[in-house]
Amino acid sequence: MSLSTKSGPLAHPIAQAISIVLLSLVINSIILLACNYNPATAFSALFNGAFGSFRSVCEIFVRACPLLFTGLAVSFAFQCGVWNIGAEGQYFVGSMVATWMGVAGKDFPPFTLILLILTSGCLFGGLWSAIAGLLKAHRGVQEVISTIMLNYIAFYLLSYAVDGGPLQESAKYYPQSELIHVHLPILLDKTRLHMGVLLAIALALGSHWLLMSTTIGYRLRAVGHNVFASRVSGINVSKNITLAMFISGSLAGLAGSVDLIGISPYRLFQPGGMSMLGPGFIGIAVALLARLNPIGIIFSALLFGGLQVGADAMQLIEGVPAKLTSVIQATVLLLVLGFAAIEQKDTIIEG
Amino acid sequence: MFDIISEILAATIRQGTPLLMIALGEIYVERSGVINIGIEGNAITGAFIGWFVSLKLSSWGMLAPVAGLIASASVGMIVALIFSFFVLRLKTDQVVTGTGINLLAFGLVHLLYTQLVGETGEALKSSIFNTIPVPIFAQIPILGQIFFQHNILVYITFLILPILYIHLFRTRYGLSIQSCGEHPKAADTLGIKVSELQTKCLLFGGAMAGMAGAYLSLAHVPYFNPDMTAGRGFIGLAIVIFGGWHPIKAGGAALVFGFGSALSDRLQARMLGIPHQFLQLLPYVLTLLVLAGLLGRTRAPSALAVPFRRE
Repeated sequence: MSLSTKSGPLAHPIAQAISIVLLSLVINSIILLACNYNPATAFSALFNGAFGSFRSVCEIFVRACPLLFTGLAVSFAFQCGVWNIGAEGQYFVGSMVATWMGVAGKDFPPFTLILLILTSGCLFGGLWSAIAGLLKAHRGVQEVISTIMLNYIAFYLLSYAVDGGPLQESAKYYPQSELIHVHLPILLDKTRLHMGVLLAIALALGSHWLLMSTTIGYRLRAVGHNVFASRVSGINVSKNITLAMFISGSLAGLAGSVDLIGISPYRLFQPGGMSMLGPGFIGIAVALLARLNPIGIIFSALLFGGLQVGADAMQLIEGVPAKLTSVIQATVLLLVLGFAAIEQKDTIIEG
Repeated sequence: MFDIISEILAATIRQGTPLLMIALGEIYVERSGVINIGIEGNAITGAFIGWFVSLKLSSWGMLAPVAGLIASASVGMIVALIFSFFVLRLKTDQVVTGTGINLLAFGLVHLLYTQLVGETGEALKSSIFNTIPVPIFAQIPILGQIFFQHNILVYITFLILPILYIHLFRTRYGLSIQSCGEHPKAADTLGIKVSELQTKCLLFGGAMAGMAGAYLSLAHVPYFNPDMTAGRGFIGLAIVIFGGWHPIKAGGAALVFGFGSALSDRLQARMLGIPHQFLQLLPYVLTLLVLAGLLGRTRAPSALAVPFRRE
């Protein structure tokens, strides 16, 4: 699938992104009307909830943080033509390994321990994802299926680890881990804004540089564009697919470890179930809305984070279920796909 | 001892049935060259609508769950129709579209369910399909309990297995479907309407997944909760691979996976000292091994997930 723009009235990606979001609001207003809610009051509550106070704006960054990581993760894989549907599982693996590191290394100095937690979560998320990359590169296994399977394996491993497994609290009462004694520095008093947000933004800029200005990035994108041409011009396709999956998974794993020591109460909980609405899946919508552009992903992650913050307020004030955000996110994703497809059709006709 | 074993085996069949329903539909979809990972979304929508309709029509008695089942099949087809509009008409990427459909379905179902019952989630009991023991056969010791004391959906699902097999492999229509998945261009040259057949397969797959969802809320338990499909759509995808895109083998695979969950339900008390999560993740590990070619070879339809454009 190519997401490049060539022509049309909405050729500019930013103009297109804005019109997609507006169209999605219209569709969701209809859904709200059908459910007997007033869309005007609902959306104004949502808007005020997100931008009403300094704290809520900070909260947007906090909620956008994991989405920014997973959006970048998805983007790296997609740019190389690999459909990583497994960011959710890589997130789980990252948070699991990070928890283990945090508990096992509690005697290390705090700064060292934080670095160890972040790098181990990152590394193992990447290794988990590289399994799918290797299976694709060497055994021709469709990464879509393998990453879905790996998602569930990671989910049940995590579910076991904190429920009778090695990571459960020593009291063995609740399905949760011990408290981790270190955490990321809070940037502003009385908010939850943590250092991980800056790390995520820095990584977005770094990813942009890596993808657009280095040979490594060029090769990854070349494989994504045309496998055969890449192979003919001497690019090692298998190696690049595995590499893309590794980078992708390490970003998702990092999301898991940053969430663990970024957001109080700094411990790992047993997830209620494998949710279609988790950060790994929402990351797909985040990445596609930004047309896989890492800088754009900063903004689409903030948009989706803002939706979440606003929706919580909307539920509190207007009684509209916050799950509306998932519907908005889904319509955004489908509209992005639709727009890209129609645009491609136009260019085909013109060409 | 025999009691426990036959109880687990009966539960295997009960647990395997919804998985098989999903897999049978998806076999048709994938044989026609399309991969629909949105079936998890089809299933949760089906579970919700089926439960809702049966709840509202509870005065109909025995007919209430039947109405629920029909509603869930219809809504499954509507979801499939949205999917097919995107992937067949607009030629969008099938995997991403499927993910979008899942997001949409789960979001909408969560939204409607919360609106309906409030945040507390008061459990509302719907009328369900009762167990119908097969006369005479149900009296057979042990075997009767395992095979002949189920609800009607179990019998139907296993009875249509051979029919679907014959349809897919022994009829002209079934072979046309397969040709779309193997070589759509050649099929098109022969005058087969590729997109039309693919749409029909998607509708069938959507209806099956919707009914599988209804099985959960209308036969398994009389309740609904918005996470009740618990990845069964994805296990269905695994069964398709595990069963080599073949209805009968998929039946076997569904029973293997059903056995896993039946066993893990029984082992909640850690009877054998194996954490139940390990049994639950086993199907996924096995599927990975099958895919990697370590447990026998399978081959996917050649043109799977490749959008077909007429020239």
